[in-house]
Amino acid sequence: MKPQYLFPSWTRWLGLALFLVHLPVMHIWNIYHLHSYDDGQLFNLPHLFFIATVVLMVLGLFLIAFSREKIEDEQIYQLRLSSLRWAIFANYLLLIIALIFTNSKADYKDMLRLNLWVPLMLFIIIFRWKMFRLNRSLKEE
Amino acid sequence: MKNTIRIERAIKNITQAELADLISVSRQTINTIESNKYVPSTVLALKIARVFEKPVEQIFTLEDTD
Repeated sequence: MKPQYLFPSWTRWLGLALFLVHLPVMHIWNIYHLHSYDDGQLFNLPHLFFIATVVLMVLGLFLIAFSREKIEDEQIYQLRLSSLRWAIFANYLLLIIALIFTNSKADYKDMLRLNLWVPLMLFIIIFRWKMFRLNRSLKEE
Repeated sequence: MKNTIRIERAIKNITQAELADLISVSRQTINTIESNKYVPSTVLALKIARVFEKPVEQIFTLEDTD
């Protein structure tokens, strides 16, 4: 089997931890209305906070999505590819719908935020579902 | 494409898990190949044939629908 560019399998748990840590941090952001302190400067407190939460989330999802399975073989590789294809399909469908139903007054940052996590999240969900079905087929034997 | 892996395994008296170990794939992959849900790559087919010491054509055969 050719080597693939995937992270070691333990990074999935690291990714999950990072993603879970991002949730309370995001909550603090919302409770204390930190964005109201934003003076538009680069690397001020709200900006750093924003970077921290977004980076935690994206890195977490990225590690979960691209960590190696315990036994990574060609069938799992194929499931990965087809999951990725469906995730990209769905993401672009969502993006096109979003583009149709937004006018010029909309905050385009929301679309950026959506695109930040939707493809990865969809990929993880579809891939896990396929893996679940694969494992279930083994139990049915 | 159909295959005779299940029969060959019975002759050699090895389990799905043992065959999976021998060719370093997951047990799920052997299982899905046996039940014709997954078509292995040429490399994997050759590896399976090597385990059973038979030519590939004896283990994997084309069907009319292929």
